[in-house]
Amino acid sequence: MTAGQRFHDKVFIWPLVWSSFYAFHRAWPLVHENLSEMHYYALMRLLLVEDEIDIQRFLRSSLEESGYQVETASDGKTAERLAIEGPFDILIVDLGLPDVDGISLILRLRQLGVSAPVLILSARRSVDDRVRGLEQGGDDYLTKPFALAELLARLRNLLKRNSPPGAEATRYRVLDLELDLLRREATRSGEVLQLTPQEFVLLEYLCRNAGRVVTRSMILDQVWGMRIQPDTNVVDVHIYRLRGKVDGKGQQPLIRTLRGVGYVLKDR
Amino acid sequence: MSSRTGKPPMRSAAWRISLWATLAFACGTLLVFVFLHRFVADDIQRRSDAWLSGEVEVLGDVAERTPKDALYGRVVGEVAELAGKEVPNKAQTGSSSNDSVFFLQAGSDDRLKLWVGAGSGEANLQAIRASNILSDRPVDVRVSGFGTPFRVATIRMDDGSRIYLGLSERDELRVLKSLRLRFFFLWILIVLLGFGIVFFTTRRMLSHVRRITEAAAGIGHSDLNTRVPTTARNDEVAHLALTLNHMLDRIENSMHQLHTITDSLAHDLRSPLTAIRGKLEMSLSAASQVEQAEPIVSAIDEVDRLTEFLNKSLDVAEARADALRLTRIEIDLDELLRTMIDLYEPCMSEKGLQIRLRSAGPVMVSADAALIHRMIANLFDNELKHLSAGCTVTVRLEAGEQGAALQLEDDGAGFDPEVTLHLFERRVRGKESNGHGLGLAFIDAVARAHGGSAAASNRETGGARIAVTLPLASQREAGSAIAATRAAG
Repeated sequence: MTAGQRFHDKVFIWPLVWSSFYAFHRAWPLVHENLSEMHYYALMRLLLVEDEIDIQRFLRSSLEESGYQVETASDGKTAERLAIEGPFDILIVDLGLPDVDGISLILRLRQLGVSAPVLILSARRSVDDRVRGLEQGGDDYLTKPFALAELLARLRNLLKRNSPPGAEATRYRVLDLELDLLRREATRSGEVLQLTPQEFVLLEYLCRNAGRVVTRSMILDQVWGMRIQPDTNVVDVHIYRLRGKVDGKGQQPLIRTLRGVGYVLKDR
Repeated sequence: MSSRTGKPPMRSAAWRISLWATLAFACGTLLVFVFLHRFVADDIQRRSDAWLSGEVEVLGDVAERTPKDALYGRVVGEVAELAGKEVPNKAQTGSSSNDSVFFLQAGSDDRLKLWVGAGSGEANLQAIRASNILSDRPVDVRVSGFGTPFRVATIRMDDGSRIYLGLSERDELRVLKSLRLRFFFLWILIVLLGFGIVFFTTRRMLSHVRRITEAAAGIGHSDLNTRVPTTARNDEVAHLALTLNHMLDRIENSMHQLHTITDSLAHDLRSPLTAIRGKLEMSLSAASQVEQAEPIVSAIDEVDRLTEFLNKSLDVAEARADALRLTRIEIDLDELLRTMIDLYEPCMSEKGLQIRLRSAGPVMVSADAALIHRMIANLFDNELKHLSAGCTVTVRLEAGEQGAALQLEDDGAGFDPEVTLHLFERRVRGKESNGHGLGLAFIDAVARAHGGSAAASNRETGGARIAVTLPLASQREAGSAIAATRAAG
């Protein structure tokens, strides 16, 4: 190896490596804030009912970053007053409030004509029947602690569920990746990918949430239909395999791992 | 648990009780009837004796006063025949001939002087002579040619002759016979009636007890809201039901307290964890350097592990106390296992492990989906963590008498012999293990909460075996059918 080549290594390779890291970490907040969503939900008004000041603070700031207009309440009375005063598109209600049981609050608000969907935050793992009832009524629940990405995803789902249904997509296109849901066929740059049915479902889920972060528990819930938290890397292995098939040599990697958070399918 | 219709009445306690009660009742009434019969028989005898004594006196008087001429026989005979028509207990027979009464006058030389009655009277006289009647009290005399004995009263005349008046006991016996027949039918009737009453009342009472038993058997395993049925009556059975319900109230109370404790514990731990995780995620999104991001990411991982540990601990604690809140739905274990294997297979083959499923088809259990999912995930995680490359995991599923049997066998190193005995206790783990030692305790707790069991052992050929049994959905339905009949009754 000549001195010139070594010079090339030092001068051109390292800045490239560092700039790619830098680019990733600059791009990551954009991904995290779901900029693509901001455009649609910029005017979404959200009422956050949570008595823990710490949680309220970080939820508020990350929700505002994601483009929600957030009002907060620390107890049931304030929540009731705010909910009646201004119409909200969506509510986040913690079950353990100081003055009133969260579920009673929700039922009371429903009686008062507040029809916005509710995301229930619960510190209990086992969900009691009343929460189940609300879940069937179109609301959702999330147990603490949760990943912000999951909270945002569930809010999106609730809003989507309550908006008039559009025509169900039969194909997805993310950059040069195409999914035909009817023929159960995926192509990358026109080349057909050899996917197992399970891998297809996984890729479909990633495509549906292209540009947004999905956590491991969201994948387990949506793709395998289980709310479990394995302490082994079962989901990661599925993603590695899928990535091996989707992101071929010389192609732009589409499936990104966000450590500590989850995965994202790049759409730009 | 026996079903309502499955048990023949012959084997019920009500049947045995009514048999014994009826036996005692039958003996008692039989005794009463025997005494009654004797009393009636004595009374009839006394009445006919009184008639005989009275009539023989009248006849003696008549014979005394009637002049002893040619008309004597006719006069006394007429009187005797008239008397014979007023015999007590006389059967209403159409025949004019009266063979139930005879009048006989024997001279002092023991020869037949006068005879009124059926036949010649010689046989009667001989029988009277043979029995040598002297007293005034009527006695029984058997006359040859007659099936039934005669009751004979006598009186001595002044001229030394004797007048005998005989009354056949045939009518008396007939009356007694018809009495006995009536008694017998009456006895049968009241014994049957008594048996019926005893049987139905005891059965009714015991059916309350049975309903309480069935209801009590259905209670437990996190279903503490229901109570055994109570009756408005203030008897022992009602007391039993009330006592059981009070006991259930107390148990539910302490269970409720346990829930409150675990809930507040969960809340107090989860809220700070939520805040920590949220703040970490926010600082992760703000971090612009790899060096900054790395510790944050590992901190988030730690928080997630701590959360899972907390969840499992609380679940194990609640399940140990039989206080796990279950929301049961029907689950096909076969399908679930296939999905699970689908999920875990890539990870296992990555580690050089093989997994095989041996299952004959759908096995339905009625269980809490979230808990069963986590239990099976735990089983698989356990294998993943402890097996070395090249091992094979065999998953067997079958539905048997005991319920759904799920077995995981591997050909790895097996359990550490030191801990084999205490596998399901909390926090027990092998030396090499890096888990928090809750996995098996959790599996055991979930199985028990569903009314099943879990067992772990080392295979003789090497390797570990974990067997979990869960009641089948059909077995549970039998239990809830009782709840339905309880609600209906």
